[in-house]
Amino acid sequence: MNAGLPVLSRSVRSKPSVPVRPWIRLQRTPFERPKATVEWAELIGRVAAHGDRDAFRLLFEHFAPRVKGLLMKIGTDRETAEEIAQNTLLAVWRKAAQFDPSSGGAAAWIFTIARNLRIDAARRAMRQARADQPDAVDDADDIVESPEMLMTRSEDVSRVAAALLRLSDEQSKVVRMSFIEERPHAEIAEVLGIPLGTVKSRIRLAMNRLRDLLDEPT
Amino acid sequence: MTISHHPPDELIADFATGRLDEANHLVVAVHLTQCPACRRFAGAMEHLAGAALEASEPVSMRADAFEAVLAKLDQPQPAPRAEVSSPSTLPDEDLPEILRRCRFGKQRRVAPGLKMQPIILPSASQSRAFLLWSAPGARMLQHSHSGTELTCVLKGSFSHEAGRYGPGDFDFGDGEVDHQPVVGPEEPCLCVVAMTGDLELHGLLGRMISPFVRL
Repeated sequence: MNAGLPVLSRSVRSKPSVPVRPWIRLQRTPFERPKATVEWAELIGRVAAHGDRDAFRLLFEHFAPRVKGLLMKIGTDRETAEEIAQNTLLAVWRKAAQFDPSSGGAAAWIFTIARNLRIDAARRAMRQARADQPDAVDDADDIVESPEMLMTRSEDVSRVAAALLRLSDEQSKVVRMSFIEERPHAEIAEVLGIPLGTVKSRIRLAMNRLRDLLDEPT
Repeated sequence: MTISHHPPDELIADFATGRLDEANHLVVAVHLTQCPACRRFAGAMEHLAGAALEASEPVSMRADAFEAVLAKLDQPQPAPRAEVSSPSTLPDEDLPEILRRCRFGKQRRVAPGLKMQPIILPSASQSRAFLLWSAPGARMLQHSHSGTELTCVLKGSFSHEAGRYGPGDFDFGDGEVDHQPVVGPEEPCLCVVAMTGDLELHGLLGRMISPFVRL
């Protein structure tokens, strides 16, 4: 399918313990297609096209421990995190054909799968707790199914990708740490080596810039 | 449709990372279906969450994890659960798709010119969601909230100190807000609301009727 594939799998295999961070590479080489992102996307493509188990193993070895790690960091217990990480990769296998490589976000796609599974798990636990109450009504149906990813329109996808490319590394980092990882401002100040008083204004500036960039037509 | 009021950034980030309670999640989702700008913003948050996933500290999986998943690859997928159909209680309104998939309780009158219909969310832990109709020109009782109130306008409009809210607009109220919305005169106003905590009604009338107003 692609002449570059043998090289691709070798390069991923040869350094299994080095975390590949497509995001950071994306920042450094804004005018090239981000290589690492293409690699994960290619692997998902191979799973979709041929049920390629070698490709799946690479995806599993890279993402499952990270899903588990991220979930545990945000307070999920080890057992549940393990289960969700396994099911996330199982869903990657089953839904590989639904992944849109042009979105450029294999990690984002896998994140949304893990997120939805975590929401499902929390809801099941809540229903279980209710069912244990004496006056509980049996309501086992999932009412609102969350879509895999919010953006299904390609226009949206390309605008978001373009906006994120134009956000500086520093700005995307500060937004990520504050809004996604919910780190306290003091910790952000320490990581970025800026005064505590600057953190808030920098977050605000980054958010405004992101909003502006998202509003621009591509 | 021009949308001029949006959810706070933090709320959209919480939505994108799956941190919202079910009712709040639903009302933010309704706004996102109406608002391309916020949808893109939420998409950007998902991408940054992907970056956070890449950057997260890996934790070793159980030794047999990969084999366990491999064993499941060829098993048939469980059939998706049948959709819950509840035509009898679905309100007679042109609702966004995401709401038409919900299950509804019984419609009831709350106060003169004000009726509501609960949305049945079995897994909501702290918040509850409902549709709220208010008559054109109705002046709501002055109230504040002990928790939060997330509102997305579906039809008609209302106004309070922060401005006018039309279809697609999102209003975020928390304990600090004390307001008296007035419904626009043009048509009944329909909103989807997620609420935590209780309403606190003010004024003599509010105190008199508050035992009867249950939202």
